[in-house]
Amino acid sequence: MSAATRLSETMDTRRDHPPGRGQAGALLDPQVLMAIKNLELRARVVVEGFWHGLHRSPCHGFSVEFTEYRQYSPGDDPRYLDWRLYARSDRYYVKKFEDETNLRCHLLVDNSRSMAYGSLGYTKAQYANTLAATLAYFLNLQGDAVGLLTFDEQIRAYLPARHRPGHLRHLMLDLEEPAAGTATDLARPLRRIVETVKKRALMVLISDLLAPLGALEKELGSLVACGHEVLLFQILDPAELTFSFDQAVMFRDVESGQQLFIDPATVRKDYLRKLNAHLAAARSVCRKLGIGYRQFATHRPLELALFDFLRERMQRGKTVPRRVR
Amino acid sequence: MSFLTPFFLLGGLTVALPIVFHLVRRSSKEQIPFSSLMFLEPTPPRVTRRNRLEHLLLLVLRCLVIGLLALGFARPFLQKPMVTIPAGSAGRALVLLLDTSASMRRDGLWSACLAKADAVLRQTSPADQVAVFTFDRLVRPVVGFNQWSALGVADRAGLVSRQLAELKPGWGGTHLGSALVTAAEAFTEVDKRGQELAAHRIVLISDLQEGSRFELLQGYDWPRGIDVQVETVRPKRPTNAGLQWVTDLDDARLSEADAGPRLRISNSSNAQREQFQVRWGDAAGAVPLDVYVPPGQSRVVSAPRLPPGTSGERLVLTGDDDPFDDTVYVVAPKAEPVSVLFVGAAAEADPTQSLYYLERAFQPTRRQAVALRTWTASAPFSAAVLGGARLVIVTDRLPAAAAGAVGAYVGAGGTALFVLQSAALAETVGRVAGVQSLTAQEVAGTNYFMLGQVDFQHPLFAPFADPRYNDFTKIRFWKYRRLDAGSLPGARVLARFDSGDAALVEVPRAKGRLLVLTSGWQPADSQLALSSKFVPLLYAILDLAGGLKPPLTQVQVGDPVDLGEAVATAGSQGVLVRKPDGTEVRLAAGETHFAETEQPGIYTVAAVGPPVRFAVNLEARESRTAPLPADQLQRLGVPLKPPSPIAAPRLEQKRHLHDAELENQQKLWRWLTIGALVVLVAEMWLAGWLTHRAAPQSAMTT
Repeated sequence: MSAATRLSETMDTRRDHPPGRGQAGALLDPQVLMAIKNLELRARVVVEGFWHGLHRSPCHGFSVEFTEYRQYSPGDDPRYLDWRLYARSDRYYVKKFEDETNLRCHLLVDNSRSMAYGSLGYTKAQYANTLAATLAYFLNLQGDAVGLLTFDEQIRAYLPARHRPGHLRHLMLDLEEPAAGTATDLARPLRRIVETVKKRALMVLISDLLAPLGALEKELGSLVACGHEVLLFQILDPAELTFSFDQAVMFRDVESGQQLFIDPATVRKDYLRKLNAHLAAARSVCRKLGIGYRQFATHRPLELALFDFLRERMQRGKTVPRRVR
Repeated sequence: MSFLTPFFLLGGLTVALPIVFHLVRRSSKEQIPFSSLMFLEPTPPRVTRRNRLEHLLLLVLRCLVIGLLALGFARPFLQKPMVTIPAGSAGRALVLLLDTSASMRRDGLWSACLAKADAVLRQTSPADQVAVFTFDRLVRPVVGFNQWSALGVADRAGLVSRQLAELKPGWGGTHLGSALVTAAEAFTEVDKRGQELAAHRIVLISDLQEGSRFELLQGYDWPRGIDVQVETVRPKRPTNAGLQWVTDLDDARLSEADAGPRLRISNSSNAQREQFQVRWGDAAGAVPLDVYVPPGQSRVVSAPRLPPGTSGERLVLTGDDDPFDDTVYVVAPKAEPVSVLFVGAAAEADPTQSLYYLERAFQPTRRQAVALRTWTASAPFSAAVLGGARLVIVTDRLPAAAAGAVGAYVGAGGTALFVLQSAALAETVGRVAGVQSLTAQEVAGTNYFMLGQVDFQHPLFAPFADPRYNDFTKIRFWKYRRLDAGSLPGARVLARFDSGDAALVEVPRAKGRLLVLTSGWQPADSQLALSSKFVPLLYAILDLAGGLKPPLTQVQVGDPVDLGEAVATAGSQGVLVRKPDGTEVRLAAGETHFAETEQPGIYTVAAVGPPVRFAVNLEARESRTAPLPADQLQRLGVPLKPPSPIAAPRLEQKRHLHDAELENQQKLWRWLTIGALVVLVAEMWLAGWLTHRAAPQSAMTT
């Protein structure tokens, strides 16, 4: 059994066991995680927990195949030993040459007002930012260049993909900016990325996708056409997925401020129907363009999100032929 | 149930407020933020009905609080029948005094006056005693207290009102003082009955103009217990200008320059107009005269000139608001011819003779034209010569026949003045006076004589009685004739010389009198002709002789006119007076005064000879129409009562008072307010309970 197969099995097992049950002790409850104010610390906790899980998992050493780590073998240049990894894992891993394995990852994070909604004590934006920070931290640990683009109806912040000391800190700071926009425009940041990023890169779009999908297909298609690898993480609150309200009250759109008097019992069925249609449409677009699509409810542990990320990459590594330079 | 202040019930409309608040609250409370409403549709308000039902009790309580408060403020009370005042209670004695002076002819005043009178009459209770008087110059009773009592209780107010409606204001002046005094004294009639009366009140309905006469009140002790209620009527146009005829002096000489009558135009102080026009109302072709009179002032102008050959008797003022005092009637005065016979040396141009000075003393005036006839003593004398003469002046000795004729003339009522220019004339005096052998002695001294004693009690010297004029010492007499006045029967020495001798003696003779001046006025005898006393003395003698008519005075509406002369000449035929409106009045036998001058205009007296005309005009004070301050009456001791609200029906007032009393007794508003407070407490408790009950539920849901 290859390491990839073992990893796949592990992740399948974890998905089947929601947090708090079975192996719950291995995963962090997002509510506990979100209690940590510092974003970087949150990311580190997730990534370290993830590593910790790896250490106890039988998939030891998979990363050699996965990306850029390879177990040390005599004859290898000891300069490329990863001593920090050695310090944590007590095993020798050799980093491959950057030229070979350098990955450019752009995190496209939706920072619109709709992301500021949350029914669990933290918002979707906090969850998405933590996810983005976790990915950035993880990739930065691996020595990959990470860039960031936050947006609402317009582009709020842009950091090009780099791997430098202090870059990750800038990125964290930008991610900590509060949500301000009043609408969500998915087309504009995608167009901007297409225009600015010429080198092939990994594009991770983190959004609730609660906006018309009209131009999404076209812009995502442009990205794919440019040779970028695209992953789409849709973040949704559990309340959005189930519409579990019971009182008939005024509902206020956090983006537009529009108010509607709604009786949830009456409209729930119709709401879920429309939402599922919308999600199906998004999924359909992704499938059509060969884009990895994952949907996250914000009560889901972030480690699983990281697993999903890696799994998605792995699957794409199997299905989508890499372009060789 | 009735309400004292029912308009507060409108406050009950505010029950809409809690209903609105309930609706507003339903839509505004409890908002839930949500990420996107793109998959949601608004729900029709099915659930809101449930919401209303939940708070219905609260809403009802709140509405009840407002309703109770509105009801309380409206001051409700339970109506009870009003107890009417018993008919036998003490009434009041009222004298209704209506002004019918000329100023009440102004636009709308009389109708307003009648309306007020009607209102006062209708307010009277059956127990009230009422008399109604009208007044201008005179006070005229319309209804006395006895007549009022004799009328039926039900309709006597209406009857008297109808009687008043037939009256019209006259042309007289406003003699307010006499009217008030008459009204005050009229109460004695009702007091005599011994009936118990609650009040004595005079209700004066007048325009209370500035020109009213109330001098009579100054010396009148106003009786106690009588008050006056003044109901003033005000004209639509308060300004007025008046036209009056200014009487000229009787002695003024007639001349061509000032032949027309002089007029005074007075303008009220609050007048808006200043430009007026005076024109002849009955003379065509005369040019109107423009007169500028500033407000509050008056101007005296001569009447516009009449074209030659025309005459006018009516002058009209135009440009004024109220025409009642804008017409003046004038009758040009005619100089009365007076005949004086001078018997003596007829040398008119000789300044040493008496006649020379006599000629110049008797000048024609507006009042009379003296015709001086001369007759020489030597010429044959007869009674015909004396015919028509008012005064006979004798300076020369007369033959016996002539002296007898003069004696007869004096005996028939004539007056003869004997001027003793010579002692020989004493014999003629004696004959005329019926004394045989009267003589006089010539007295001439080295020094001059003065008048030492003058009888200022006699009508002849009465005009000189004033200290400014009673100095006769400037008149020097060179010589005189001493006459024994004591020998003349009934002789009265009117003046004596400083020597003690008589200077002027009056001797009554049957109906007439003869006057004897013991010195002449020609320069040879004295300086009398040169003195300022000469002409007045001569006119006084002429007046004493009955040769002068009484001074010209204007006749005002209501003034009696002396027609004694016309009556005397008419004899048994009687005198017929034609009024300006064409009606004729025959003067009763023995009556010499015509009193029915009720309207302004020209009156014609038809008797023997040419008709006599006289003009009657409006009283000048009547033009002063500015309102008189009511406290003027109070200063004269008349107790004034504030005018009662005549327009408000008294019954309505009583009912309102009755309702207020009932409400004050019952005080239902207190119970309603307590009820509102109780409901308010219940509402607060319920609202609190609902809030507490809802709070845990909402906590659970969030």
